[in-house]
Amino acid sequence: MNNTSSHTDLILITCTLAAVALPLLAALVNFCLPVKSKAAGWVSTLAILISCVLAAKVFAGVWNNPQIHVKQVWFTIGHTKVYAGILLNNLSVLMLLLVSVIALPVHIYSTAYMKHDDRYSRYFTYLSFFCFSMLGLVVIDNLVLFYAFWELVGFSSYLLIGFWFTRDKAVQANKKAFIMNRIGDIGLLSAIIILFVQYRTFDIELLFAQKGLVVQSVVNNGLWNGPVGSLPAICQYIAVAGIVLAVAAKSAQFPLHTWLPDAMEGPTSVSALIHAATMVAAGVFLLGRVYPMFTGTELSILACIGCFTAFMAATIALTQNDLKRILAYSTISQLGYMILGMGVGAYSSSLFHLATHAFFKCLLFLVAGIVIHQMQHIKEDNHLDIDPQDISLMGGFRKKLPLTFIAAVIGGLALVGLPLTSGYLSKDGILIQAFEWSDGKDAWFSIIPVMALVTSWLTAFYVARLIFKVFFGDFRLTNAYPNLKLHVTDGGWPYKLPLVFLMLCCFFPLFSFNPIAYEHAWLFSGLKLPGFVIGESSYHLIIPVVVNVFSLLVIYLAYAIYVKQIAFSFPQTGFFYRLSYNQWYFDKIYKRIFVKPVLGLGKFLYWFDKNVIDGFIHLLAAIAGCIAGATAWIDKYLVDGFLHLMASTVQSIGNFARKFQSGKVQYYLFSMLAIVLALFILKILI
Amino acid sequence: MITLNDFLIISAALFCIGLYMIVSKRNAIQILIGIELILNAAILNLVAFGKHDSLNNSGQIFALFAIVLAAATTAVALAIILNVYRRYKTIDPGKINNLRD
Amino acid sequence: MSLVRVLFYLMGFIAVASALYAASTTNLVRSIFVFFVTLFALAGLYVLALADFVAVTQVVIYVGGILVLILFAFMLSGKETLDVIQQQKGKFFSIGKLPAILLAVLFFIVIINVIFKADANNLSWVKDSIANNNTITPNAVMIDNIGVNLMTRYLLPFEAISVLLLMALVGAAHLSRKEGSE
Repeated sequence: MNNTSSHTDLILITCTLAAVALPLLAALVNFCLPVKSKAAGWVSTLAILISCVLAAKVFAGVWNNPQIHVKQVWFTIGHTKVYAGILLNNLSVLMLLLVSVIALPVHIYSTAYMKHDDRYSRYFTYLSFFCFSMLGLVVIDNLVLFYAFWELVGFSSYLLIGFWFTRDKAVQANKKAFIMNRIGDIGLLSAIIILFVQYRTFDIELLFAQKGLVVQSVVNNGLWNGPVGSLPAICQYIAVAGIVLAVAAKSAQFPLHTWLPDAMEGPTSVSALIHAATMVAAGVFLLGRVYPMFTGTELSILACIGCFTAFMAATIALTQNDLKRILAYSTISQLGYMILGMGVGAYSSSLFHLATHAFFKCLLFLVAGIVIHQMQHIKEDNHLDIDPQDISLMGGFRKKLPLTFIAAVIGGLALVGLPLTSGYLSKDGILIQAFEWSDGKDAWFSIIPVMALVTSWLTAFYVARLIFKVFFGDFRLTNAYPNLKLHVTDGGWPYKLPLVFLMLCCFFPLFSFNPIAYEHAWLFSGLKLPGFVIGESSYHLIIPVVVNVFSLLVIYLAYAIYVKQIAFSFPQTGFFYRLSYNQWYFDKIYKRIFVKPVLGLGKFLYWFDKNVIDGFIHLLAAIAGCIAGATAWIDKYLVDGFLHLMASTVQSIGNFARKFQSGKVQYYLFSMLAIVLALFILKILI
Repeated sequence: MITLNDFLIISAALFCIGLYMIVSKRNAIQILIGIELILNAAILNLVAFGKHDSLNNSGQIFALFAIVLAAATTAVALAIILNVYRRYKTIDPGKINNLRD
Repeated sequence: MSLVRVLFYLMGFIAVASALYAASTTNLVRSIFVFFVTLFALAGLYVLALADFVAVTQVVIYVGGILVLILFAFMLSGKETLDVIQQQKGKFFSIGKLPAILLAVLFFIVIINVIFKADANNLSWVKDSIANNNTITPNAVMIDNIGVNLMTRYLLPFEAISVLLLMALVGAAHLSRKEGSE
């Protein structure tokens, strides 16, 4: 630990805080701007640009240097002091840089992409807020604040996914994303609570450092013994399961992945940001932060989840026709790879893949955004009723969008993981380590790396299919509508600049001088766990060769199918096709298993509420009404009656007395005489 | 021999009749007659008792005074009645009830 | 029974009966003329009480003055009064008069009771007067005595009465003046 803040450290800390706070400032400024103000884009872009520069400075200062950890007392409960601060180590500065660097092209791109939107400044408000949440998430050292930023990420993604909230599908999608993420949040929250109960601290550094509290504690005889106290072992399982749940929800892993494809309803630039660097990366980042908690079986479970997710998502991506949906499933698949990498102990490869994936996936989404934008223009210019995201309508964009085409090819190759690209370095690293991991285990475990391998080929196929369908051949829409007016271009510099920048980032030199061996990548070595030994098995040679040769074959196959159209066409009624096309029926299953019973329960509760509770309340109301009526009656007839009786008595007495005042002289005289007479009679009788 | 009591009883009867007239009559003039009856009853008493005072004749002299007073009151009362009649076009005291509440 | 006593009862009866009639009748004219009778009967009773001068004064002032005044007032109050009077067909005994009758009868009983309790014949000064022979005898002439007493013993009341009489005359004249004819 390094609590003595030297001068350099102080500058770095200040830079970090500024990098985190600038997007928030931009969000606040944009919030005050008029809704259509075009200045918003530049405010946000400028903020993220400065953030990016500052992040780069921080990165340069911290990378491969001792970590910086400053904290202050946040609040005190009893004798427990809770600290809050900033933890800068290789992982967090990498993420800091990654997030800001990915966010920058997305911002520039968005200024053009969202130009005609009615709520331009709102969009940038949300976008900046999103960046702030993510940047805060990666540098914070306290689990509670981590959780807060985690929630902010979820919240701002909710805002962005539902940005076009007038569309019903967008509203459905952001609700779905929000609810799915809440499930994960419950897991994270329970994990945080259990960790605090066990270790009496929220400090990530204390908990998860190399000799941290988590590493020191062992499970023994059904008890989870830590340096501070002990809890039943089940608590540890719950904590781990909670974190797995949180990771699965945020990074769209197997049981909770269905929100991500639907999140495509947001603007494409948002999808690029969510998928590449922020939202989904948060899950993997969390895993990286709490990695020491996972040992043995838990890692295997992670590997299984990741592997299954990767495979499943890849198969689904094979048959989808929606451009963004294909990319979404590809993201899920790649995230599965990262989780798999975590599970097999390829910690650094996994994070390496996170970084490389961020660039090429961002690139691919921006490409998709341009294509969809052009399709949208065609649709609007010609008043067609088509889905602008449907790749079966596209084709032949290679000549019309040359730069986009090149970008798509480079991004696609990186995604497939062909040599010379960044994807090759990170992905093959994971695959190789997965094989090495399964070597020392049962035969059953070898299914995992094999499936990962197959997934890699499936990836090659669907990427090839995507690119061939969109960019090669003829423009299929002209077959249906021959008189189309086409004005298709790559767009202005706000489109081109991010593409070029991201294209450059997809090549190997950014990460390693050796294009073949992932072990030499500086990013890889910078993230190595202590005690990590690079295996020297034959896999290092075999795997890349096998993967790439087969990938090339698969790409050729796709070329044959979709461009030359010579080979067979897939039977579109087969079980596997339908399974894939319907996304493994997850949505339907979830709908049947969870949504319907919940709705049924809701209906039942509604019925219960309406008939039983309301009935009871109505009964009470009726009783109260009766009592009130009785009281009113008593009030009216008894109390008031008594008063009226009194009043009328007084009145009649008054009237009686008034009658004496008749004004008749004789009457007065009569009264006087009567009284005199009465006195006389009284006198006589007494 | 006529005793004092005889005079007193007649006087009482006259007085009560006068009283009745005052209270019950609906005519101011008849009420005036009732008043005269009461005065006469009083005068009768004065005269009856004055029989036993030959020296000073106080009873008879005050009887004279009373007669004169009665004449005066009657004159004033009649003037009042005339005025009342002129103003209200009636001499029924029951109808002159401006004093009423 | 002496003639005096017979006369007394006769006079007493006439006085009371005529008074009753005057009280009971609704006819104002009759009431006034019956009142003459009552006054005459009372004058007779004064004579029987040995007060000749008072009796004469009674006849002169009452019959000659007051009754004439009343008649004038009655006649001056005009035709409407007569009409109103004619309409009053009330009976002697009506429910509306019952309280007044009750009152009068009760008063009568009370006064009779008082009279008998007082026992006027046995009052001390009356006895003294009889004992001292101070009682007026039927043969005595009291007019001289009355004139002397008026001018000596009762001069002050006499003068007061005269001033009062003057005031009454002026007041009556003032009251009966027509309004607005200053």
